[in-house]
Amino acid sequence: MKKADSLATIEKTLQNDPATRRAFLGSDKRSLAEILRADAAIVRRRGLNHARIAQRMLALRQAGWSGQGEVVAVPPHFAVKVEAERGYLACPFGDEGAVAKVNTTVRNLARGLEITFSNLNIHLIAAHRFYEGRGAKFRLDPGQLIETLAISRRVSGAASGRHR
Amino acid sequence: MPESIKTSARITVNDRAAFSAPTGQSLLAALQERNIFIPSACGGHGLCGLCRIQVLSGAGAITEREEALLSKAERRAGQRLACQVQVERDLRLTIPEHFFYAREYKAEVVALRELTPDIRGITLKLSSPATMDFKAGQYIQFRIPPYAGGRLTYRAYSIASPPSQPGVLELEVKQVLNGIGSTYVFKHLKLHAAVVFSGPYGDFYLRPGNRAAVLVAGGSGMAPMRAILLDMRDRQVRRRVHYFYGARARRDLLLLGELQTLEQTLPDFQFIPALSAPLPADEWHGEIGLISDVLARHLAERFDGEAYLCGSPAMIAACIKVLHEKGVNDDRIFYDAFA
Ligand SMILES: Cc1cc2nc3c(=O)[nH]c(=O)nc-3n(C[C@H](O)[C@H](O)[C@H](O)COP(=O)(O)OP(=O)(O)OC[C@H]3O[C@@H](n4cnc5c(N)ncnc54)[C@H](O)[C@@H]3O)c2cc1C
Ligand code: FES
Repeated sequence: MKKADSLATIEKTLQNDPATRRAFLGSDKRSLAEILRADAAIVRRRGLNHARIAQRMLALRQAGWSGQGEVVAVPPHFAVKVEAERGYLACPFGDEGAVAKVNTTVRNLARGLEITFSNLNIHLIAAHRFYEGRGAKFRLDPGQLIETLAISRRVSGAASGRHR
Repeated sequence: MPESIKTSARITVNDRAAFSAPTGQSLLAALQERNIFIPSACGGHGLCGLCRIQVLSGAGAITEREEALLSKAERRAGQRLACQVQVERDLRLTIPEHFFYAREYKAEVVALRELTPDIRGITLKLSSPATMDFKAGQYIQFRIPPYAGGRLTYRAYSIASPPSQPGVLELEVKQVLNGIGSTYVFKHLKLHAAVVFSGPYGDFYLRPGNRAAVLVAGGSGMAPMRAILLDMRDRQVRRRVHYFYGARARRDLLLLGELQTLEQTLPDFQFIPALSAPLPADEWHGEIGLISDVLARHLAERFDGEAYLCGSPAMIAACIKVLHEKGVNDDRIFYDAFA
C-alpha cells in the first residue's frame, strides 16, 4: 500500500489544482499545516485523539448500515442514517485505494444536534488528522463533531472495521 | 532522439491498427482521442478497475493502484489499467473487441422530469451519431462540464430506456449530497442543452434463457431495470419475472403507474413495490419494510432462478445474503461490478 504523499507535496498539489483546493480547503486562507494544527489543538484540549474520533464515526456508521438508507435507532440516544451511493472516490492525499461514496447522518436526540460525515471524512481523520478547511462542503468542526457524537475520554468499545 | 525526450509514441492496437500519440498522457486519454472508448467509471483515477486492457510491450512499471486492483495472474498476463499507463514509448496493446463498440455521442436534452423529489429523469435525443446500439441494463459515461470552479469530469449513468429506442436515451439521476455530477444535473443542466457522453458499457443485462428472474432495486437502480423490462416487452420475451423495488415513502416511488401498466402487457411479470417508511397520507396498502426483507418473504425456500440487483451497496449486500440463504449461487446473481 502506498503511503500518503508528504505534507509539502499535498500542499503543492492543492495550490496547483484549484478544484481540489476548493473541495477540501474551501475558502480557508490558512495553509494545510495550519489547519491541521488548529484542529489538532481542539481535539487535544478535549483529551481525545483523532483515531478515537474516527473510530466513533465508524462505529456509528456500522450501526446504521443495516438500515439501507433508513434511520436506525442506536442506543442510547442516536438516530443514524447511512446513505450509500454507487461509485468511489480518491483520497486527495494520494492514498492507495478507493473510498465509497457513503454519507452518515447522526442525530443526537439528547442534545438536539445533527451532523453528516462521509466515508472520506472518516478516512481523512483516521489517516491524515484532516477535518478539511473552513467553507469546504464536507468540513467537520472537530468540537461540533465531538459534541454531536458524544465522544468522551472513556473507551466506548467502538466497533472496529474498515472506513472505506 | 533519446528515449527520455520522445514527444510522440506509436500505439499498435490488436496488431491491425497503429497511430501516433503525444507522450505524457495516460493511455486511456490517448485511446479516447482516437475514438477508442475504454470503460471507466472513476474518471481515470485508478479506482474502478474497468479500464483493464492487455499491454504486450512498452508500458512502464506497474503502479501501486494497479497492484491493488489487478490480481497476480492478470499482471502476469500483461493486464494493465489504461488510466495508469503513461504513454512514454511505443506500445503494443490487445483490446477486447466489444470495447470498439463504445463511442462518443453528442445529444440534446429534450426533456427533464422530476420523477421524485430526488430523482431527475433526463431524455436525450442523439444527434451525432444519431443512434446507439446497446443492451438493456448497460450504462453510459456522461460528461460533466466544469462549473462553479470545478473541473471536467465523467459520471456513470445507467440507460433507463429500451434498445428499441436507439435515438432517444433516458437517464434517471439521483441527487447525492454535494455531488459534482448530480448537482450539475439538478441545478445546471437545462432543457435543450447540448451534452456529450460515451458508451455503451457494462455487462449488467438479462442473461438469455428462460429461468425465472428476480430484479431488485432501490433509488436510481430503477434505471437499468426499467430498460430490461421494456426491452422484454418490446421483444415479447416470455419469462417469469418479479421486480422488487424499494423506496422510503410514496413520493419516492417513481414510475408506479408505468410499471403497473407493464404488468398488464408483459406476461408473467409482477411488480412488488415496497415502502420502508410510508407516511399516513400515503394510504399505502402494499409491502412495507426494507426491500431485502420483502425479497426474503416472497422468495421460496429454494429459488432456482437468477437475480439482478441494482442499488446502494448496502442494499446489494443485504439482498445477496438473502439469495445465498435461498440457495442462489453467485454465478446466478448479477450486479454492476463497480456498484
Ligand atoms: C455502473 C454505474 C451505473 C450508475 N448508474 C447511475 C444511475 O443510473 N443514476 C444515478 O443517479 N447514479 C448512477 N451511478 C452513480 C453515479 O455514477 C455517481 O457515482 C453518483 O451519482 C454520485 O456522483 P456525484 O458526482 O453526484 O457525487 P460525487 O461528487 O462523485 O461524490 C459525492 C460524495 O463524495 C463524498 N465527498 C465528495 N467530496 C468530499 C469531500 N471534500 N470530503 C468528504 N467527502 C466528500 C461525499 O460522500 C459526497 O456525498 C452509477 C454508477 C455506476 C458505477
Ligand atoms: S478508469 Fe477507473 S481504474 Fe482506470
